[in-house]
Amino acid sequence: MDSEEGTGLEGMMAVMDPATAAEPQPMYKQLRESSPVLRVSGDAVILTRRAEIEDAFRRPEVFSSNSSAVDLGNIRPLIPLQIDPPDHVRYRRLLDPLFAPRQMARLEPQIAALVHRLVDRFADRGECDLVSELTIPLPSEVFLTMFGLPLAELDTFLRMKEGIIRPPGATLDDPQVWRTKTASEMYDYFDQILDERAKSPQEDLLSGFVTAEIDGQRLTRHEVQDICFLLMIAGLDTVTASLDCFFSYLARNPDQRRKLVDDPSLIPNAVEEMLRFESPVAGVPRIAVEDTEMAGTPIKKGDHVMIILGSANTDDAEFADAMSVDFGREVNRHLAFGGGLHRCLGSHLARQELRVALREFHTRIPAYHLAPGTELIYTPGIRSLDRLPLIFGD
Amino acid sequence: MRVKIDSELCTGHGRCYALAPETFDADDRGLGLVRGDGEVPPELEKQARQAVANCPEQAISTE
Repeated sequence: MDSEEGTGLEGMMAVMDPATAAEPQPMYKQLRESSPVLRVSGDAVILTRRAEIEDAFRRPEVFSSNSSAVDLGNIRPLIPLQIDPPDHVRYRRLLDPLFAPRQMARLEPQIAALVHRLVDRFADRGECDLVSELTIPLPSEVFLTMFGLPLAELDTFLRMKEGIIRPPGATLDDPQVWRTKTASEMYDYFDQILDERAKSPQEDLLSGFVTAEIDGQRLTRHEVQDICFLLMIAGLDTVTASLDCFFSYLARNPDQRRKLVDDPSLIPNAVEEMLRFESPVAGVPRIAVEDTEMAGTPIKKGDHVMIILGSANTDDAEFADAMSVDFGREVNRHLAFGGGLHRCLGSHLARQELRVALREFHTRIPAYHLAPGTELIYTPGIRSLDRLPLIFGD
Repeated sequence: MRVKIDSELCTGHGRCYALAPETFDADDRGLGLVRGDGEVPPELEKQARQAVANCPEQAISTE
């Protein structure tokens, strides 16, 4: 990719300032009211209103998710995120069933066991850093389980996804160098494991990819690697960020936390409501592949278009009392997993992980609060925390 | 009341069959399906309407 195109990610960082990442909802509101289609630089546009965001999701032929939308160091498009129609649906037909709600429901006991295994390590200590001790390891351990890999691979997984999402070179001029290096390591890592699965298939997701067929043809090795790459960068940090946002919210709002402890049947709806209000994935990038306009603002071919999901999810044109968090909310058409044909492939896995983690954690540790003096520092974009020190008890 | 899913708009958020499992089902991809002929008995109407209102793609219509 041409360096002059930027990565899209950096464009979003410009708006998603770390200072507002802790509580971005008021900034979203201000943007919706002042400039719902905002040009932030020569070729970057930000959408904040529900109406335009829905419109963009419904016009994937104009607002493309192709590999120019974001550069993560991958050498081929990520499958299926960076594939446009008509090929896109071929991959989704194959992948959707592997991530459908019924399949994900089967993982429930395994996810619960992983949560307890992590909680066992700190429950008696009376305190923990929830980020390093639960929210970071859990999604990767769920993936390792699904991939049929030993939990001992955790550090390798974490190093690879961090190298793409938060390259240590990010403070230098070119984080892309680090991303490219990590990407190469990730392609090789999966290549080797896929060799093993091709020789002796197991009952796991990777073997499923190796043996799956589209229109009578198996996926190529490159295609499987490109799927694995996507899962690594889309399926780990996002769930970590969601857990960070949720537990941080519940630690700061004990009345709401008590509702879930007293009545765990509220958890599924509470998950939807916190996904809406917190929108852990604050936005998703697209690229305009032809000239168009939105709300009277011209958008040019080649423009990077940032879709601010968190703003669509707090738009009071859509939600009654949008700024209040109501676990009993009856109508909640949130777009925390995006919308249109690229709707998050892993959304049902994420929901399963989030529900099980909330339910099981609170059976073990029903009361907790932030350690005194804690400053919560959120990463903009994907709103994970650097640490979440909790002290157990009210 | 009858419900109908526009398969052009449904992208498999899965809200309908989570909220109104007696009225909606999932296909193997997780896309929404209407059970039976789509006729919703009165005792399931409230639940079905909630599912319709919660579809992020507004893919479900009623008549």
